[in-house]
Amino acid sequence: MTVTATRPDTPAPAAGKGSDRARGERRLGLYLAAPSFIVMVLVTAYPLGYAIVLSLFNYRLTDPAGRSFVGLNNYLVILTDPVWWNDFATTFAITVVTVAVELVLGFGFAFVMLRIVRGRGPVRTAILIPYGIITVVSAFIWRYAFAIDSGFVNQWLGLGDFNWFGDRWSAIFVICLSEIWKTTPFISLLLLAGLVQVPEEMQEAAKVDGATAWQRLWKITLPSMKAAIMVALLFRTLDAWRIFDNPFVMTGGANNTETISFLAYRQNVSLVNLGMGSAVSVLLFLTVVAIAWIFVKGFKTDLSQVRGD
Amino acid sequence: MKQSRWWTIAGVAIVVYSFFPLLWMISLSLKPPSDIVSGEPQFLPTSWSFENFTQVFSQLLFTRALINSIGISLIATLLSVIVAMFAAYAIARLDFPGKKVLLSLALGIAMFPQAALVGPLFNMWRNIGIYDTWIGLIIPYLTFALPLSIWTMSAFFRQIPWEMEQAAQVDGATSWQAFRKVIVPLAAPGVFTTAILTFFFCWNDFLFAISLTSTNNARTVPAALAFFQGASMFESAVPYVMAASVVVTIPVVILVLAFQRRIVAGLTAGAVKG
Amino acid sequence: MSGPPTLTWYINPDNGGQATRAQQCADASGGAYTVDIQTLPSDATQQREQLVRRLAAKDSSIDVMSLDVIYTAEFANAGFLRPYTPAETARISEGKLPAPLKTGMWKDTLYAAPSKSNAQLLWFRKSLAKAAGVDPTSPTFTWDEMIKAALGQGKKISEQGARYEGYMVWINALVLSGGGQILTDAEAGKNARPSMASRAGDKAAEIVGSLARSSAAAPDLTVAQEEQARAVFQGDDGMFMLNWPYVLAAARSAVEEGTLDQSVVDDIGYARYPRVFADRPSAPPLGGSNLAIGAYSKYPEQAAALVECATSLEKVTQYMLDEGEPSVYAASYDDPRVREAYPNADLIRDSIAEGGPRPITPFYVDVAGSVINTWHPPESVNRDTPAEADAFMADVISGRRLL
Repeated sequence: MTVTATRPDTPAPAAGKGSDRARGERRLGLYLAAPSFIVMVLVTAYPLGYAIVLSLFNYRLTDPAGRSFVGLNNYLVILTDPVWWNDFATTFAITVVTVAVELVLGFGFAFVMLRIVRGRGPVRTAILIPYGIITVVSAFIWRYAFAIDSGFVNQWLGLGDFNWFGDRWSAIFVICLSEIWKTTPFISLLLLAGLVQVPEEMQEAAKVDGATAWQRLWKITLPSMKAAIMVALLFRTLDAWRIFDNPFVMTGGANNTETISFLAYRQNVSLVNLGMGSAVSVLLFLTVVAIAWIFVKGFKTDLSQVRGD
Repeated sequence: MKQSRWWTIAGVAIVVYSFFPLLWMISLSLKPPSDIVSGEPQFLPTSWSFENFTQVFSQLLFTRALINSIGISLIATLLSVIVAMFAAYAIARLDFPGKKVLLSLALGIAMFPQAALVGPLFNMWRNIGIYDTWIGLIIPYLTFALPLSIWTMSAFFRQIPWEMEQAAQVDGATSWQAFRKVIVPLAAPGVFTTAILTFFFCWNDFLFAISLTSTNNARTVPAALAFFQGASMFESAVPYVMAASVVVTIPVVILVLAFQRRIVAGLTAGAVKG
Repeated sequence: MSGPPTLTWYINPDNGGQATRAQQCADASGGAYTVDIQTLPSDATQQREQLVRRLAAKDSSIDVMSLDVIYTAEFANAGFLRPYTPAETARISEGKLPAPLKTGMWKDTLYAAPSKSNAQLLWFRKSLAKAAGVDPTSPTFTWDEMIKAALGQGKKISEQGARYEGYMVWINALVLSGGGQILTDAEAGKNARPSMASRAGDKAAEIVGSLARSSAAAPDLTVAQEEQARAVFQGDDGMFMLNWPYVLAAARSAVEEGTLDQSVVDDIGYARYPRVFADRPSAPPLGGSNLAIGAYSKYPEQAAALVECATSLEKVTQYMLDEGEPSVYAASYDDPRVREAYPNADLIRDSIAEGGPRPITPFYVDVAGSVINTWHPPESVNRDTPAEADAFMADVISGRRLL
């Protein structure tokens, strides 16, 4: 999300009117921004606070009389529970695999979009199709492709009646495939935005100096794009960490393919175990904060462009 | 030139990458249900029929879901675009305290784990009485669509030559005429693109749709897809799910085909124009 | 307000039988009400999910619902159901078999009126049983004998071993048949005591584990539900099957469609669910669904009238003939039409009357989930499994472990 345009010059205000105008501008700005601010805060901060309160109770919706205050006990239970750590591991695996593959693949796509001469339009259109398709539809498509009773994959690969969804890692593999197919376009566009801003002069100079395409890539292109790459990585990592639609449709969490978001859903909505479920929700939020923290402070991701500084 | 040929080939590979799953979806939607219980399923249908589509449209589950999806997505998009437009204008043109806070907040919302909200929202909505209603979904959609809307539109707005408005006024136009004839045509593409992106977002949502709805009143298509059954208890639901999927993919494909340039410009914040 | 109120009845899917009953009752009500039918998902777990979230949202449009027998306690305890008055209860209880009636009660109050019932029977291939020299219809036929016979003939015993409610049905039947219980003091709510570790539980574990590890287990046991079990039984390797009575009608339809040979159907015999210990009568697994009234319904009296009408002897008997779902009335099984369609009518009735329900507790989802989690896959079941299940279940119910 890089932005390059500069604001047009406004004529210097006359002395007395300057502070009035500035004040008027500030007031207008606040009024215009207020609705967005209110909506965003209200719909996330308030329910999150509510979840924090609920998480301090042992509360099942279907047993209202049994509601009792347990303090931080729910958190202790979750953090020492194998179900939580299993889901954590699954989510971690999916995140690492999809982000790694998509970074490489996304770069490939971005380069093609940059360099292609004939067929630029169709390629761009093709790239956007997975972006626009409903994730659930994509999940069904990939699931049916690998399922024993409907899919062609086993036939094409000569695998007989191998049950892709019967084992944890083969199921996660298919989930990753669907996720990668669907979201690579978005990351390739983010990378493309960074690519087009790599200054041409440095490339030309390097070419004159005899650098190969590969060397130019590693020594010039990538370093100039570092900020854009890190931002793309951050968003893609968070998206993968929050994955829900694909596992839900493909396996329903069976065979140890449940993710953390799914756990939150299952505890809150299926089991209506609101106390424990709210604790899972809060922990999910904290893991996201942790990841963002690692990226911003640890990898020094520069979010100023995104913040529009 | 040899080099450009390689890029074109790579481009073809990308097109195949995108369209192959779609072909599979269409193939499945044309298959008779008996194909699904066969011992060795194939890629192409054994016989072609549009029966799956007529069956799908005869189901209230689907037709109501379609109406819900269209209605909720359109309303949420409209509201989101309006609210974001105000904020984007302020961000692009004005200097006010809290600008950084607003943008940081938008960043935070974009990173927020939506699954963390299903429990509290479920409880809150049922207490207020908007569980399983359109408004019950529109509110979270509006919230989570705002960051993308604000970023996209403020990026577009930053590139508008605002001084043309003053130039038009100097030339004798009224403030309103200047706005209508100069600013609106310049801003319209950005607003329009933002609307498309927001619509995609709402059209796509699944998590809130299955958590905050329970009947045809408000259930949208992604949630309804998970509920599809075959025509009888022992018949596979696969062709029907795929037929329904084809139907809801058509608007997406049309929008992408028609507005590919604008969408790419929007997603790359104007860095890539054409 | 003009016109009779419209009651909404949420049914589990069938072939139109419940809709017919609804229409007949509305017509006979003399304008007191009309009925609108809404269909729930076909899976019991999904039905529960849909109903729970709507009743939790105090949905007033749920007047009558067809509720699977395992959920009465949870819904009643949550305040989702309107209890039947003593007068209604007296009328509803008349003529009903005792076991189904009990599944509609929570804390001595009737919350759900029995509408249809179900009990698993032992199905076997007569020719193979004869070749093995066993008589499954003998009153003291046990699981051990059955496994031995199947191994001797090199054939399969079909059961439901997938990771779903049907697996819980099997385990519960074994434990109950052995004289034990999965949960003791279920009415104590959170303080109910898991009690699988017992003589009955250990024997159940032995049966499940040894069958699953032997060659008498169907190859797809770990993912088999009712239909998969039936497919194996009707195939060349089938010898024994534990399943619901619908399988006989399904086999007959298959013959009509030409996908099954008549000789197979002729070879099918049926008997009571086998014993776990030779000296103790078996407790055949009990299924079925009851009709309950939503607590937020605007027309509770009309809803009660609809329920009483729809669960009358004639309607329930007709439903058994049309839909193949066993009746909850003892008298139905004496009806000549029923006896003609169901040669095993007496067996079904006795199995239901002495049927073993799954634990009646508001925490049924946690109980069943815990059992299924620890006992799956069947090959892994050993003598430690019952105690493991007990510990896990206690932790889940009291909130010390995640399910």
